[in-house]
Amino acid sequence: MAMYDATPPHGPRPAPGRPRPLSRRGFLSLTGGLAAGATGLLSACGTAAGNSQELQLWSAFPSADVQDYFTRNFLDVYNKTATRKVQLSVKPGAAIDRLLQTALSAGGGPDFIGASGPTQALTYVNAGKTAVLDPFVDVYGWDETLLPWALKPGRVDGKLYSLPMQNETMAMYYNPATFEKHGWQPPTDLAEFDALCADAKSKGIMPLAAGNANWKAATEWYLSVFLNHAAGPEPVYQALTGQLPWTDAVFVDAVTLMSDQFKRGWWGGSVSDYFTNQFVDLYGKLVDGSAAMMISGTWTFADLPGYFGEGAGNDATWDWAVLPQLSSHAPPVVWDLSVGATYSINAACEHLPAAADFLNFLVSDPKRQLAALADVALEPPPLHITDADYAPGTDPRVKRLFEQFQAADLCGYTTWTFWPPQSETYAYEEMEKVVTGMTTPKSYCSGLQELFAKELATGDVPAVPPPDGAL
Amino acid sequence: MAAASASPPASSATSSAVSARPAAVRSAARAPRTKGRSPAQQRRRLAWWFMCPLIVLNALVIVTPACLAVYYSFTDWTGLGPAHFIGLANYRKLFSDADFRNALLHNVYWTLFFLVVPMAMGLLGAYLLSRITRFQVLFRIAYFIPYTVASVVTAAVWQRLLSSDSGLGKVLGVNFLGDVHLSLLTVASINNWAWWGFLVVVFLTAMQGVNASLYEAAEIDGAGEWRKFVSITLPSIRPTFMFLGLMTIIWSFLAFDYIYILTQGGPAGSTDVLSTLQYRNAFSAQQAGYAAAIGVVMAMISAVVVIGYQTLRRRKGWDI
Repeated sequence: MAMYDATPPHGPRPAPGRPRPLSRRGFLSLTGGLAAGATGLLSACGTAAGNSQELQLWSAFPSADVQDYFTRNFLDVYNKTATRKVQLSVKPGAAIDRLLQTALSAGGGPDFIGASGPTQALTYVNAGKTAVLDPFVDVYGWDETLLPWALKPGRVDGKLYSLPMQNETMAMYYNPATFEKHGWQPPTDLAEFDALCADAKSKGIMPLAAGNANWKAATEWYLSVFLNHAAGPEPVYQALTGQLPWTDAVFVDAVTLMSDQFKRGWWGGSVSDYFTNQFVDLYGKLVDGSAAMMISGTWTFADLPGYFGEGAGNDATWDWAVLPQLSSHAPPVVWDLSVGATYSINAACEHLPAAADFLNFLVSDPKRQLAALADVALEPPPLHITDADYAPGTDPRVKRLFEQFQAADLCGYTTWTFWPPQSETYAYEEMEKVVTGMTTPKSYCSGLQELFAKELATGDVPAVPPPDGAL
Repeated sequence: MAAASASPPASSATSSAVSARPAAVRSAARAPRTKGRSPAQQRRRLAWWFMCPLIVLNALVIVTPACLAVYYSFTDWTGLGPAHFIGLANYRKLFSDADFRNALLHNVYWTLFFLVVPMAMGLLGAYLLSRITRFQVLFRIAYFIPYTVASVVTAAVWQRLLSSDSGLGKVLGVNFLGDVHLSLLTVASINNWAWWGFLVVVFLTAMQGVNASLYEAAEIDGAGEWRKFVSITLPSIRPTFMFLGLMTIIWSFLAFDYIYILTQGGPAGSTDVLSTLQYRNAFSAQQAGYAAAIGVVMAMISAVVVIGYQTLRRRKGWDI
């Protein structure tokens, strides 16, 4: 090539009046400019909150039925009278968080920022992506309609940034026929729990249907149970408020107890099976009696009809019981507080009052919310609920749980509601190493304390209500 | 050919190259100058214009994000909001992070596995196929099909096949994906199931380009199948072999899909590789700056491999 090239090193000098040949430098300038222009153009094409005439809502649903129900009974009802309509964009559940983070970091995103709890909402708050909701608290009376404990984690430095949308707690689910067949009763303390698990294991029955193949963070459900029901809510409260380190013996003992029970094969059959157990199989085991119990959140109510009873083509039934006391440190009955979903408003939203109005619609009518609980087991927001609010068709078992939960006087703290983001991820990721024997409970707690202390210092821990005054 | 006339006298090799060009090109080269530009300049200009869309695309989707990733690797960016410069803190953290060392080690194991197992299977499969004529196309298709199946489908099928609850795992009493000692090998084997057929087809194509007279001469000299494979086939397909080796190393450090679908890096980090660690840090742990530093290290590893390969090419004359 060079042999035919008489071009001077810096390109030919153009003759006057003739088009200048494209030099490398010129070419790079041109393409660079084009690229920059295209970048700007693409950025402008992004979904920017506030640019649309309608409010943009991104949401994921557990099933098509729930999506359809929400659209008909919430969205369509609101849009009939709203001055600014809300447009729903359904996203896959496994990807919605990533999509939201990417859109927000690019300066766009929907008008409403959904999160899986106050912990996740805090990451958006700290990044300055959410609007302050305080101007609307008095307007809509949210301090009155929502339960104080659930509103509190949504506040950062005294300002409200997120509203709780789903009120959850943990419970123990079981098949009464299985219990009757083996002469079991729902355990109320560690001794009874140990005895039942040992008996089940000896009979080749999986004591607790558990696994994290579908949801890696499922381990934090169980960790929350051990912390609140073995260590107890008071030490957890002290740790979350920085008064007690996570390295305290009470936590090391709770983690050790969890690890021991995993190693005995009580949770999921064996440690290795725990990592590959899928929910569909676990529910099946609960139905056919090859698993004794399942400890899970109240979101399970939505799944149970798909496996039990007429809808599933069998005559199996289910019931629930309060979680057992797992050590003498803990009170006999503790109800774990959990906010399963929150909504904030995008700081870039140009229609803040309209967006706040829609959020208020979602949390303002207990009857509408409890109808959703009755129809599709959609958990209600943490509202003040009276007996008259429940829909006639509400499953009595579901109603019984929420009534007892509302009447509880001692609460525990779930990791996805009250823990800072990095500590929460550490909690379930590193717990896998504890149950597989790759690290010790003491070392696990040391690592947790180190990370938690950093997040506490930077103000990343959600506000925590005291255990006996929350409800 | 004004530009050529201004050049020093052409060597014989050059003359040969000129005469070897098609007549149309030669006549174009002899054409008078248009608008003051030589034909060589016009050709160059045209070439740049053809490259223009690709370079714009590269600048948009590769160069810009790459530069941003390097920038963010020096910050405490969470993935949202502002990023603060923290110097080399993320890179210092890499050296003390047991998870990073664990993931890097798994990438090395993964690379060794894919340099040995599928390459050997691919070579063997291709050599055996090259020996047959009947049903060769059928076998080629059969070997290639797994490569065309979406990774999520392959993963789901193998997950069920190996299930300790209802599959092979139950029969053998082994939990392939749940056992921390077996999980990495299992995921690599599943990935290999989809991969090695592709190597068979590529190696077979290379083998079919080997001069058949070499085999005939070897047979006359009494060479057996193994001698022919080692002394004729392997040296003849060395460029293909080296290229696939290079790409295997680079791809191994980018491995993500099968691992994420099957185990998400678990259990207990036993299948964690750099890409899953990076993903987790970026999206779950809100440490996008640290994830960017991991990405930069991954890019540097690939760069070292490519530079090493280019050095070998220059010194040994190996070509792609």
